[in-house]
Amino acid sequence: MRNSRELLKSCCGLRFLVAAFLLLLFFSPAAFAAVGCDLNDPDRDVARLFPGSTGYKTFYMSIEKLGGEKLLEKIEKRLGDKFKGLYETPDVPYTIYEIFSGKEKVGYIHGVNHKGQFGGIQVFLALDLNGSIKSFYIQKLTSRYAKGLRDPAFGQKFAGLNLNDFYLYDVVTHKASGKVAEIKNPEPEAETDFRAALRAVKKNLILMDEFVLGNRFDKDTPKESAR
Amino acid sequence: MIGSVEIAYKNLWRKKARSLLTILGIALSGWVLVSLFGFNRGFEAALARDIDNMGFQVLLTAKGCPYEAATMMLKGGTGLRYMQEDAIGSVAGEPEVDKTTPMLMQAVFDPDKGESGGINAYLGVDPKTFPSMKPFLHFQKGGWFTGEDVPEAVMGYEAAELEQREVGDMILIPEKNAEFKVVGILKRTGTQDDGTTFLPLRTVQRLFQKEGQLTALGIKVKPEADPTKLEDKLYALPDVQVVSMAQVKQTIMGLVSTAKVMVLSIAIIAVAIAMVGVINTILMSVLERVQEIGILKTVGAMPRDIFKLIWIETFILCSTGGVLGILFALALSKVTEVLIRGILPYAPSGGLVQIDAVHAGVTLAAIVVIGLLSGLYPAWRAGRVRPLEAIRSEAGR
Repeated sequence: MRNSRELLKSCCGLRFLVAAFLLLLFFSPAAFAAVGCDLNDPDRDVARLFPGSTGYKTFYMSIEKLGGEKLLEKIEKRLGDKFKGLYETPDVPYTIYEIFSGKEKVGYIHGVNHKGQFGGIQVFLALDLNGSIKSFYIQKLTSRYAKGLRDPAFGQKFAGLNLNDFYLYDVVTHKASGKVAEIKNPEPEAETDFRAALRAVKKNLILMDEFVLGNRFDKDTPKESAR
Repeated sequence: MIGSVEIAYKNLWRKKARSLLTILGIALSGWVLVSLFGFNRGFEAALARDIDNMGFQVLLTAKGCPYEAATMMLKGGTGLRYMQEDAIGSVAGEPEVDKTTPMLMQAVFDPDKGESGGINAYLGVDPKTFPSMKPFLHFQKGGWFTGEDVPEAVMGYEAAELEQREVGDMILIPEKNAEFKVVGILKRTGTQDDGTTFLPLRTVQRLFQKEGQLTALGIKVKPEADPTKLEDKLYALPDVQVVSMAQVKQTIMGLVSTAKVMVLSIAIIAVAIAMVGVINTILMSVLERVQEIGILKTVGAMPRDIFKLIWIETFILCSTGGVLGILFALALSKVTEVLIRGILPYAPSGGLVQIDAVHAGVTLAAIVVIGLLSGLYPAWRAGRVRPLEAIRSEAGR
């Protein structure tokens, strides 16, 4: 019996130690998951979402940092809905990727977490410098019907839209007009996730307008104060 | 009448920059020493706490190196070997065993997690035995499963945060197309349980067609029992492997001790360098004041008075530097911790740097004693200065 212990010690050695750590980790699936809405593989994802880009810089912004409760109220007013849940508190840090082509800044990538039917969904937008959507990407979505919503053809329907278009979409009643009304749910069975995705896009655009675009889409903000 | 301490203080103050730099050198070495003692203490405590928070001291897994088992699990849970549930039934009857809890870990591939998919892992636990093994688990909302084979889930704090789940929400196991209702969300524990999604053991066995099979059996040993005695018995069981947390702890602590010796050596060198600085400062001060010392002697100062004066200067330098070093260590312990966490590939949860009064006192005493020993030669040399030769000499000019 002692022999088997000695055998274990001698044959495994370092492996045993590694195993010990792995066993500690093996009960920790979330240790491998992204917490917060970052791109899983920024080098790969930036090149894919922004073809032609040569590099990126990352910075973090939060509602708390920029304006606290007052800003939260303003954002909720613009969204037409209250912020709720774990990823809509004012202290949530948002990761913003500034995209470069050579030395020239060409756009942004920004993602938000949103509550979906069976779990959190992560909606990323690639925006040009004027705040128009270049690409739409759902990084994570747990659903039987995820395929249709993650299809690039569906994402393409968002290209060219901006916050002015999304003001015509009511995230509570789901009534839409203009270009957003033309975006149809490719998976009728996944209506909850489709609506969550649209709300996430509107929220994403409003946050980007506040964080980096100088409120250029905010009708209540005088334009001369734009950054 | 002016006292020796005041004269010593004034002497040091005459060469402010040199004295301050020497104090800073001593303070830095004191900071390193105290932080190191604090880290040793904090790291060991945090590591022990993490291991103890596993809830069991012995883990039985299917035969095979646990490295392979864990790797398989990380890759998606296929091809993993299993233990037969009935084969380990006898373990509970061993006199050393306090409690046992069976577990079945399964992982599925979710193609919609990221660009190329990702793994979701689920831990099947027995609602009758698992909670008592982990008394530190408390619910933020909800509670454990309502039955042994129900489509219900309990989520750790971080798992729920990541998935934005609340009690009453549903989760989906993608590959199995099975829906589960979240019945409980745990409070943050700072352990691996925060990231875990727990399902009832029987449900996982049925869903993954693993009836009667387990990936692990957690064993809690009675406080008065000898765990090694139990381990010896467990090694005799066929087709199972024993992972003893005591062994894991011992192995990790062994490695930590090796690293500790290396770092301690570096700290001792830092102290030695600081002490060379002390000798240099005091000796320079003695040489510069040969004439002055000579005059003191002509007016009646005895060699022991001069020795005492120089030694007091050394004491002031070392004690001030030592106290400053301790204050640095206390004030910057959080910064030290952040730096250590940034460097270490694995750092246990909780405070990593624990500075206590005993270690701080020992460090201060060590610095002062070593400092005073370092000051012996300059003080002795000062005591031996001959008054007439000193007054005639050019050294002081």
